[in-house]
This record gives sequence, C-alpha cells and structure tokens, in this order.
Amino acid sequence: MEAKHDVLVVGAGCAGMRAAIEAHDAGADVALLSKIHPVRSHSGAAEGGINAALGNASEDSPEIHAYDTVKGSDYLGDQDAIEILCDEAPGDVYELEHWGAVFSRTEDGRIAQRPFGAAGAPRTAYAADITGHVLVHVLYEQVMKRDIPTYEEFFAWKLVMNDDRCQGVIAWDLLNGGLKSIGAKTVLLATGGAGRLYVGTTNAYACTGDGMSLAYRVGVPLKDMEMMQFHPTTLAPTGVLITEGCRGEGAYLLNSEGDRFLKNYAPNAMELASRDVISRAEQTEIDEGRGVDGNVLLDLRHLGADKILERLHGTRELSMVFAGVDPIYEPIPVRPGSHYHMGGVDTDVWGQTSVEGLYAAGECACVSVHGANRLGGNALMETITYGKRAGAHAADWALSHTTVEVPPSTETDAERELKELLDRTDGERPWKIRDELAQTMHENFGVFRREEQMEKQGEIVAGLRKRYERVVVDDKGEVFNNDLTQALELGFLLDLADAMIVAGIARKESRGAHARPYDYPDRDDENYMKHTLVTQTDGQAGLDWKAVTVTKWEPQERTY
Amino acid sequence: MSSVHQRAPAPGSITMEVSLKIWRYDAETGEKELKRYDVEAPDWATLLDILDIIKDRQDGTLAYRKSCRMMICGSCGMRMDGGAVLACKTRMWEISQSGHVPVISPMGNLPVIKDLVVDMNPFWGKVRSVKPWLEPGYDEVAEKERIVSQQQMNVIHKEALCIMCGCCVSECNSMESDPEFLGPAALAKGMRFVGDARDQTAVERLNVLNEEHGIWDCTRCYFCNERCPKGVDPRDAIAKLGAESIKNGIDHDMGAKHAKWFVHSAKTTGWLREMELVPKTQGIVSAIKQTRFALDLARHGKIPPPFPPHVADRVNESRALYNLVKEQGRDGALGIVQGEHALGRIEFAEEAGTKVTAPEVQPGVEPPHAEG
Repeated sequence: MEAKHDVLVVGAGCAGMRAAIEAHDAGADVALLSKIHPVRSHSGAAEGGINAALGNASEDSPEIHAYDTVKGSDYLGDQDAIEILCDEAPGDVYELEHWGAVFSRTEDGRIAQRPFGAAGAPRTAYAADITGHVLVHVLYEQVMKRDIPTYEEFFAWKLVMNDDRCQGVIAWDLLNGGLKSIGAKTVLLATGGAGRLYVGTTNAYACTGDGMSLAYRVGVPLKDMEMMQFHPTTLAPTGVLITEGCRGEGAYLLNSEGDRFLKNYAPNAMELASRDVISRAEQTEIDEGRGVDGNVLLDLRHLGADKILERLHGTRELSMVFAGVDPIYEPIPVRPGSHYHMGGVDTDVWGQTSVEGLYAAGECACVSVHGANRLGGNALMETITYGKRAGAHAADWALSHTTVEVPPSTETDAERELKELLDRTDGERPWKIRDELAQTMHENFGVFRREEQMEKQGEIVAGLRKRYERVVVDDKGEVFNNDLTQALELGFLLDLADAMIVAGIARKESRGAHARPYDYPDRDDENYMKHTLVTQTDGQAGLDWKAVTVTKWEPQERTY
Repeated sequence: MSSVHQRAPAPGSITMEVSLKIWRYDAETGEKELKRYDVEAPDWATLLDILDIIKDRQDGTLAYRKSCRMMICGSCGMRMDGGAVLACKTRMWEISQSGHVPVISPMGNLPVIKDLVVDMNPFWGKVRSVKPWLEPGYDEVAEKERIVSQQQMNVIHKEALCIMCGCCVSECNSMESDPEFLGPAALAKGMRFVGDARDQTAVERLNVLNEEHGIWDCTRCYFCNERCPKGVDPRDAIAKLGAESIKNGIDHDMGAKHAKWFVHSAKTTGWLREMELVPKTQGIVSAIKQTRFALDLARHGKIPPPFPPHVADRVNESRALYNLVKEQGRDGALGIVQGEHALGRIEFAEEAGTKVTAPEVQPGVEPPHAEG
C-alpha cells in the first residue's frame, strides 16, 4: 500500500473537487485521484450554465425548479432527491460566487440568469458560454488553497474490497508506471459519464464510465442505464457541443425548408422544449428527408453580432473551427449526439452505494435527480450539491471508523492480471472494437429504439466482449503508457453497454430518453414508473427494479 | 481577436493524405528520433485526429495527452513546426493540400517525459506561487452573491478564459533565459485576482509580482499573445499588472521607473527625452557610468542636446490625453481593458463591414465598487 487516507475521491471534475473540499473542511484526510489533471476534467466543457432558483431574472422558487425537474424527468426522478437539489442549489451557487466564480452579471450586479429548456423561469446562472470552465477552475483554486493532495494521472482500475467494505483503489500510475494501491476508509467515485459509448458524442475521450464500471464490478447495481441523453445541438461529425444557451438567448432551429419545425412538436415551448423532445423532433425531420446533409440548422443570425460576441463567443469559435461556419452570418448545422448519462451508480441522497465505504456523485451516480431526461443546467448543479453532500457523509463515516487494509492478495491478483494483458502479443488492437461498439450503439441504441435492434446490439456487444479477451497493448513500457489505460477503458465501456441493453429491453414503454415509437410509443406509469437496476454477477448482467420516490407530484401527461 | 481561424472544408466524406514528422523521445533510454508517419484521414481531421490514427493503427507507443478535443481542457498543447498549438484546434486540410510535412515536437520550456508529453509540475508550481485563489478579506459569508458590475467582471474576462494548456509558457523567451521567470500563464492568473473587484489583497499581490522574476522581467516579445489558443493575451495581462502597480505606487523596479518616465516625458514635452531616460530609470550612478556612451550617441546625432528643452508642437494634445485618462480613472488595468474592448469592436466592425457600435463603457463613468 502506497498511502492511506480517510477519503479518496476518484475523479476530479466538479463533483469530485466539490466533494474533496467538503471532506477536507469537515476535518478528514482527503485525497483526489484522477487519470487527468483536475482542470482537464470534462465538467469544464459544460457551457450553458447552472440552475438555481435565485430569482435574479424573474420570480422563481425552489418549488417551481423542482416541479420543472420532475416533469422534465418524465416522472422517473426521485422527488425527494430533486427537492433537496432545488432547495440547496441557491446557497451552493452563492458559495461558488464567494469563492470567486466569474459569473456574468445583471444590470444591478447580481448573478445573471438565462432561460433554458423546459424551465418555468430564467433560472440558469451562467458565465458567458464557459460556465463549466469557470467552475472547474474556481474549484481547483480552492483545492490548491487547501493543499489537498492529488494523485494526478493515476488511472483507477480496481476497487479494493475487504471485509465487505470498499477500502481503497488500485491504480496505474501513468507518469511513473506501475500499479499503486491507495487505501482509504471511504472511496468516492466522481468519474463522470460514458459518452464514448457512442460515435457522435459531446463527451471527452476521458468519458469512459470508469467509476460506473468499478462499482458494477464489485456488485453495486447500476440504475436507469438505458437513459442516455442525446443533446439536440452537436456538430457533425464528432459531436462537439453547441450550448443550449444559444436557444436560451433566442436561436431558432430550422429544417431544410427553412421552417421552425418545432411548432409541430412543441408548439408552446418551441426551441426551449426539453432535450429529449427536441432531439426526437430533429431525428424525425432528418429521417423524413427534411434535414441538410444529416443535420438541421441552428440559426443565431437574428441575435446580432454584439450578443453573439459577448455571450456566445466560445460557441462562435467552436463552430468556426470545427464546422467552418461563422454563426453571425450562417446557421450552424447540428444534430443529436450522445451527451449525458442520467443513469449510473445507484446511490441514496448522501451518495452512499450498497457497498459500505463506497460513495458516488455527479454524472457517474444516479441519485436519481434526472430520471429519464435531464434538464439543461441541472447537471452542474447536481455535481455541486451532491458532490458536497457525498463528501460530507464520506468524511463523517471515515472519521468514525478506523482501520484500512489492502490485502496483499488483492495486489498480487491485480499484478498478475495486468501482466497477462501486457505479455499478450498475439491478438487484436483495441481501436476496431472501440469504433465498432460506438458505431453500433449509435445505430441500435440511439435516439429511437426497437426491440429487435436492441436484441441485435446485445449480440454485437457479446461478440465484442469475446474479441476484447484477446486485445493487444502495443506499449509495454512503464512511462506514460496510456496505450494500456485506453485498452482498460474499453473494458469498462463494454461492461456498461451490456448493462444498458439489458435495461433498455426490459423497459417496454417510451419515457424520456428511452423512445420506442414502433412497439411501445406511450409512457406506461402503471408498469414502468420504476427504476431499472442492473447488477453484475459472475460477469452476467441481471435485472431488478426499484420504486420511484414520489413526494408531491403525481404523474401527468408531459407536453411542452 | 488573437487567433486566426482556419477555414477548413465542411465535414464530408472526402479523405486526405497527411504526413507528419514526430520527435519521439524514449524516457527510459534517453534516445531521440525524428520519425515520419503517413496516414489517410477524413478531410475534417485535426492534428489530434491524425495522432490518434497513428497511435491506433501504426504505433501504440506514441505518447501525447488529450481529452476534450474541443479546446477547453488544455491537454493537447504541443509544437507544430516550432510553434505551440492545441492539437485539437489545428485542422490539417490546408497543410495536407500544400504537401508540407510538419514537424511535431513537445512544448518548450518544460522537461520532456515521453514523446509529446511534458512534465507540467514546474508550470503548476509557478501558478501556485501567485496564490491563485480569491482572498475576500473576511471569513464570514454574505447571505447572497456580492454585487459586482459586468463592467468590473470584464476586467478579468480574458484572464478567466485561460485553460492552463502551457502554450504561452512553451514560447516564452524570458523563461528560456531565466527559468525562474514566473511566466505568462502564472502572471495572467495573477492578474485574474488583482483585477477581481472582490479580492482584497491586490497590493500584496502586486508587491510579490514586482519582485525579481516577476512582471518587469518580461521582454515583451508577444509570443505568448500570438500563440495563446484562447485569446487570453498573457502579455496584455502583464501590462495590466504593470499599470496597476504604478497606479498603486509600487514603482521601485527599473521597469516601472522606465514606464513612468515615458509618461512623464510625453506629458511635459510631448516627446521622449532619451538623455533623461537612463538616470530616471537606472539612477544617477548607473547613468554616470554610461556618460561615454551618451556622448558617442550625441556625436553621431542620435540624441538631441537637452538644452534648450525641445517641446513638441502639439504637446497640448498629449497633455489633454494624460489628463483625460487621469480624470476618468483609467490609469490602471481598466483603461487597458476598455481599450481592448474598443479595439475588438472596431476590428470586428471592419471585418464585418458594418458600423461601429457605441462603446459599452461611457467615458467619465466611474465603475461602482464591490459590495458585500
């Protein structure tokens, strides 16, 4: 064992850093561990903003925020968790401001808020179109201020299970090479999403669902894994994100005939309907031949150069670099792309999982705040509020328990497994398996889903898993061997694809991001207003269900 | 606008042939080798995409950092043909069409670990040394947010864009000759707090940044501005720190004295009086030592005789300008920021061929102070 801590936070984006800060301030010995430097985390790519009922732009309240979120979740969100989020959000945002977050300002100097999809009030606090970037940096400033030790460029590969408790992590040290085991009384997973399961994704290369897989592999159930959000405005071909803030500022979505086609899908909210609704509308337009080279058009021209330069400067730069289009003069071609996993590690409202000493927060967790569809601006808020709560609880638990032990057999088993992979010279390189996985997930488990396609995808993934057993790592060296870690990441993704498909086939209805227009076009509250839970036993995915917590909002028909 | 946008073809199904020469470095043996790679790639591919194809299909041992591939995480800083770039921002279409084979190497001024991966610890050490966190000056937390105008926030807008990729540090000439120089990234981070209306330690910070290896050791080569992929313009941040230092009376460094003399000279006679520049900047003793050099210059007609004092014809204009800046409280960083905004608008308006819009900051309007 290299070292031990009270709390070890795996992943250092917004949720991880917020958790570490909270645990540190509670008096725990906390460390961060991340495969990339904290400021490289993908939280930084969040653009549009963070939702809290501050009421700076119009009348608002946590209750309206909660109702919007419940409705947005298509009634799959747990209402107790949603109420906590919305109640604590304003205080948590003020705290970020006190730490120095560079929020955009209203005329009277308060935090500016813009309208976002499916929100009853302009509730999304923002820093131009780089809100995530600003938050990641302010959190890292606070981490530096507290001098919280960070295992930078450590790739978490296995959780240490001992005495039915999670007691640490075994990680590959990228800079120096070698497996290192780090003991901890509590391990808090905050590793983000798994968008790399899809070919067109807004997610970073780093978003390979590591934490979800780590938990899954020690028997923790994954919840609502079929719920993958497709963001309506991503750039072809690779899926670079164009913020919902564009539509918040008033941009139009047009089809090839120049029509604002949302009038046929969401006549009241139009471009500010919820993301699942807009993604399906776009996909329908494209499928029915009213797309433009597989895209629809996001038109910002009427907003004017001043507004675009001031509030959407980053968006303009992204579309100029990656699409060759200056949105001041031309509409941006966009299409739906995989963006956010509503599902994840099943936790309670303190981030606790079913394994003692193991916590999860942020996108890798499923509390569940987002249910079947997340509202724009709620993800950053969840990372902060639930990162903070999980950090506090993990610290509390660690400070009242004493021993940490990493059994030597756990270390030697991991060494042996790794050696077997590194010694293999005859087999297939990972990229083909990775690309086939991402391509077929897009085709068979995308915006619209059919039973037979999901079944077929199950077989494809089984075949890919078989091939993965013979995967070859080129780099046999110790120093910065990310050829090795990229192969291990593919193993994580394959496990998650399996879990998603099992859950997707089981949910025989259309709810939020899980749209089955051909066989089960309607929401079925009687049979399916409940969470899927997938648990891995002996490498096989098994399905179970869990009730949704309803506090005050009974399900209603969902229109925008 | 600091970055030149490459116009690449819209994504399609066309492919291109791209060749690169990459400096490979093996940390274990210390061996270096310039290796050529030829790949076929889609027309929209960036330098990062090309590296990915090489790593996947030709050589899995090639090491480089990457993550977001959308210019926000700051992982993939490296050099192409000797200049720092973000690999994910660099479209390869035009280069491939020109037939040029670019040389890819790791960033400069940082120790190489393997291939294109550098040790960022010296970089982060310098960032940490500027105490990069807000010091609000009190512990108790206000109930709501502090009141800060957008205009005050704009002072640190560019510095807040920094993604800590290291491209500026890679290109820094001062750091090449003085490895202890704080460097453009750390200094821009320093300005991010000095310029924050909510921070109460600006003077303390400025005193530290005025020490040796600080702001006045910048040679003003402007490579950092030129190579920054995010438009942070670190050199401008350093200039703002200089302006704030002088405004706060922190002028013990020769660099500050030098700058102050320029202003004084322009205000009094409307032109630069070189004869007085050396004593005013370096002190009398140092000036006496250079008497011979000064006489040589005078003999060759390079400096006019100091007496009688020569006053520029339209000195009133420079005096009026000086007074205006003083009256409007624009002699610190704010004036530079407002100038940048105005220039940015003019530049955009010229590019767009439209009329220049009114500046958002009206002359004579003193920004409100932060509350709470």
